Amino acid sequence: MLTRKEVHSKMGKWYGYRRPDGQVGCRNYTLILSATVYANSTVERVANTIYGAIPITHHLGRCQTKSDLKMTFDVLCGMAKNPNVGGVVIVDHFREDLCNIDEMAEEISKSGKLIETVNIRDVGGAINGTAEATRKAMYMTRELSTYQREEVDISEFLFGLNCGTSDTTSGIASNPALGFCSDRIVKEGGRSILAEFPELMGAEPWLKAKAINEEVARKIDSEIDAYEQRIYATGEDIRGSQPTGDNIAGGISTIEEKSLGGAKKSGSAPIQDVIGYARIPGKAPGVYMMNTPGHGAESITGIAAAGSQLMVFSTGGGHTISHPIMPTIKITGNINSWQRMNDTVDLDLSGILAGTMSLEEAGDVIYNEVVATLNGKMTKADILLERTGFAIHRVGLSI
Amino acid sequence: MAVRVAYVVDEAKDNVATILSNDIKKGMAIPVTFDGQEQQITVSADIPHGHKVAIRPITKGETIWKYGLSIGDAMVDIAVGEHVHIHNIEPVRGRGDLHADKKGSAF
Repeated sequence: MLTRKEVHSKMGKWYGYRRPDGQVGCRNYTLILSATVYANSTVERVANTIYGAIPITHHLGRCQTKSDLKMTFDVLCGMAKNPNVGGVVIVDHFREDLCNIDEMAEEISKSGKLIETVNIRDVGGAINGTAEATRKAMYMTRELSTYQREEVDISEFLFGLNCGTSDTTSGIASNPALGFCSDRIVKEGGRSILAEFPELMGAEPWLKAKAINEEVARKIDSEIDAYEQRIYATGEDIRGSQPTGDNIAGGISTIEEKSLGGAKKSGSAPIQDVIGYARIPGKAPGVYMMNTPGHGAESITGIAAAGSQLMVFSTGGGHTISHPIMPTIKITGNINSWQRMNDTVDLDLSGILAGTMSLEEAGDVIYNEVVATLNGKMTKADILLERTGFAIHRVGLSI
Repeated sequence: MAVRVAYVVDEAKDNVATILSNDIKKGMAIPVTFDGQEQQITVSADIPHGHKVAIRPITKGETIWKYGLSIGDAMVDIAVGEHVHIHNIEPVRGRGDLHADKKGSAF
């Protein structure tokens, strides 16, 4: 049997779908995408009819301030450009600025993947729109089913990190174990994304010590501070909102305590850059900090829009979250939560606090599950069709 | 190895420990390892799993240390063995209520 050191000296491989733009996906989904809220029911009908198709629906795409509409556009196109998606059928109902089939198809076509569009009004209403989109999705799915996986390096992997319904076990068990896993992936040439900026308030010194240079350290301070200034501008006390009710029930008393625990997910690897919501990180191996809110579904959607193929979500109290296009492995270090939420949490790391498993060993358990899932193993939430993890971050108003 | 019932992250600096048992009741003496040795802490309340207990005397306004870093300030004096949570410690960060002068548009 190989020693741990020997195992770690080997560079990991996985099997994925190479896309025309060079990215590699761990899934090969047909995406049925609403351009606006008024395409949602058609999209749901189509996705319910097509084997393996993933619906993306939302309440936006109209009557938004410009910057907010652009954010919605970027996130929706980012879902289609994520390498886990093989092809996309976009549906709109009439004509909006930006969130329409033409502008979205043009943006998504940069990825070189299969794209079909349906305008509900042009084809004569919702029934015809459903039929037309279903037919297009059927032929697309048949074509995608001929695509084969190929062997690729871990350096092709963009690893999403997130946590939610945290309790005090998160910061001392599952998050630092996830940090060891992230370090191993970075060592093999991969990249990780740490997000949830309001939940990093108080952890700046620990994070800045890992920044690759002064400029990145300054960005860490300024972007977390920008969130704090927005909270000040409300004039409100964040207690009760951060930490959340479930955090408090789990023993977390202050935002600083939550932040210090949450930041541990990023391990000890260098922090390469701070990037905006749904933005694409650089190519150098390491950790990238994405400025997302703490809201879980909004945060992980920003990470999926950046092209992350898979996420590990660390939870103290247990969680149902799972992103529709980015397999979401859930881990917990809390034995009570493992027993209660066993149907939607994938890995039991309670051995860390029981003293039967080291953090490094737990990191290897996560790593092995990550590679297996990249290769096609389904998470519990995937099998249950739990798709609670899609939400678009707002940066403006509905008008 | 005996089952660990409380855990101190930074044994030299932290003034709180995290409870890892579902059975910690008022009046129990529990083993906690810090400052290089196992010590007995008598808890003065029932403390749920994952919640914190004071392992050093803390005075009002003093920093609460966990991970060797600040997680906030004590609102009152806290004795060794007391349950440490939102009733006796508070965050320093993100306190819009303490920065009313900066009130303005959130966007």
